[in-house]
Amino acid sequence: MAPQLLSSRNFKSLFDSVDTFLFDCDGVIWKGEKLIDGVAQTLDLIRSKGKNVVFVTNNSVKSRRQYAEKFRSLGVPSVTQDEIFSSSFAAAMYLKVNNFHKDKKVYVIGGEGILEELQIAGFTGLGGPEDGEKRAQWKSNSLFEHDKSVGAVVVGLDPNINYYKLQYGTLCVRENPGCLFIATNRDAVGHMTDLQEWPGAGCMVAAMCGSTEREPIVVGKPSTFMMDFLLQKFGTETSRMCMVGDRLDTDILFGQNAGCKTLLVLTGVTSESNLLKEGNEIEPDYYTSTVSDMMKLMESP
Amino acid sequence: MLSRSVASAVSPVSSSSLLPNSKPIFCLKTLSGYRSSSFCGGSFRKINHKPLRMTSSNMTPRAMATQQLENADQLIDSVETFIFDCDGQIWKGDKLIEGVPETLDMLRAKGKRLVFVTNNSTKSRKQYGKKFETLGLNVNEEEIFASSFAAAAYLQSINFPKDKKVYVIGEEGILKELELAGFQYLGGPDDGKRQIELKPGFLMEHEHDVGAVVVGFDRYFNYYKIQYGTLCIRENPGCLFIATNRDAVTHLTDAQEWAGGGSMVGALVGSTQREPLVVGKPSTFMMDYLADKFGIQKSQICMVGDRLDTDILFGQNGGCKTLLVLSGVTSISMLESPENKIQPDFYTSKISDFLSPKAATV
Repeated sequence: MAPQLLSSRNFKSLFDSVDTFLFDCDGVIWKGEKLIDGVAQTLDLIRSKGKNVVFVTNNSVKSRRQYAEKFRSLGVPSVTQDEIFSSSFAAAMYLKVNNFHKDKKVYVIGGEGILEELQIAGFTGLGGPEDGEKRAQWKSNSLFEHDKSVGAVVVGLDPNINYYKLQYGTLCVRENPGCLFIATNRDAVGHMTDLQEWPGAGCMVAAMCGSTEREPIVVGKPSTFMMDFLLQKFGTETSRMCMVGDRLDTDILFGQNAGCKTLLVLTGVTSESNLLKEGNEIEPDYYTSTVSDMMKLMESP
Repeated sequence: MLSRSVASAVSPVSSSSLLPNSKPIFCLKTLSGYRSSSFCGGSFRKINHKPLRMTSSNMTPRAMATQQLENADQLIDSVETFIFDCDGQIWKGDKLIEGVPETLDMLRAKGKRLVFVTNNSTKSRKQYGKKFETLGLNVNEEEIFASSFAAAAYLQSINFPKDKKVYVIGEEGILKELELAGFQYLGGPDDGKRQIELKPGFLMEHEHDVGAVVVGFDRYFNYYKIQYGTLCIRENPGCLFIATNRDAVTHLTDAQEWAGGGSMVGALVGSTQREPLVVGKPSTFMMDYLADKFGIQKSQICMVGDRLDTDILFGQNGGCKTLLVLSGVTSISMLESPENKIQPDFYTSKISDFLSPKAATV
């Protein structure tokens, strides 16, 4: 069925059928370091009507704690870290539920957020932002060393990507027996700043696919891995959840795969013409310009 | 002036165009009737995926497995030109492989044309010429076809306008070849020093007259370059996305493997969600170029290489004989593994086996 524009005609039935709203962050709640207009008030109003609010983000640069801090600094102090499900958290949880051995290490091509979540879960992380300063040397008789006890390489958005990290990760995946290759997500681009899109984790992950000739395990959207943790927290059925996002091939697909209702907003990477053009195969239930439209619809008679 | 058919040899082809009506690439010995122009481009990786190895009725039965080279003289006499890959058969890192100078001299003495085709884009042909010279080998720059040269030759073959620019994510070799061909370029190793700060109000600008982004092996790879290339490809109308090659790993040093051009190209594929035009092996662009340039028939060529998914596939797609040497990245167990579907005509331990007419032990 074609996506319906959210309006006073359909809003009430959507709102009444949902107990928990899942929001993506980049392009929905904020763009870079700027909160999108009306978001704070909309979230408060949704909560005041007795609904749960949860944030599911593929951006692995920060940990849940750091995201809660970001919400607070942008003027939304009501969001607590256990309402945030970042792909950094998902990567650590994947290793936990799969009984990753604590004596094995994890090489990280990505941000602090991943390292922090690994540490909280009791794992030893290597790499991360500081490897952005390292340079590879290539001389006859010199070897690029890598830790043979690395049992997993986790790849996420990394604006400090360089050859050293690609080489380190590649050697681990190709040479350490049984080494896992985990991707926090595969978003091609995202609004890392308010003014334009920037290459996303999909870029770093594809670089690693290119050198390892392997496909990763993806823990972020559209994989429904994080949904299990959400369900544990709320105990509600996914049919009583609504995923609100700006990207069709991650947010909306995630919602659909999990059996939730889906609402696309146009403040991020997807325009109305992208959505409605022929050839687009991912159709959300509803779409609207911005999250604050929900506030207007909640307030109207 | 290169014919149009050469230019078409790099158009990306989706894996579906290799189904029912086209001859599967895994049909080996006789590739006559197989149009090299129908297989090229960045999709070679898709071609190696399992779904294409299905047992459909129009899949020709697998040809005989590869044979160990027993009669080198016979092979030598049956062809007019030998194409050699460099890393893994001529040298390893900066070390010459044993017996190479004598072998090349012997082949020349027998009147054979020698050509060197390498996916390594870090050097220009001229710089490779110097490397050969330093190692004591008698090779002319005109006999060398590096993927850096291929990128510039490709742009020439499609009459890429001289008023458009080329953004380069790669090393000096590419810049030098573009300059020689008269193209304006931006980027290259210098952009490895550029930093970006992702903060509110920051906008990365890019030149709107960039008409092509060339991506190859790049040890100075960073987010700035990825974003610059991505912006050009996504926002400059008609901007080409060209890859010198997609090798997963490469032997930068003789001691180990290093992440190859396939990694940098992969990154740009990840951010642009577009497939590149590949000019290096196994795309047959370089084969078509040199066949055209030297006026040689493909059946008169033997491709000698150490890598199945680039060198041997390049030879097969080009319709020439193929000889795998085991002095590089491929071992006998990899060749014989049931997972491997690429069967060269012959294999031998190293190219100096040509010097002993009878079989060398492998």
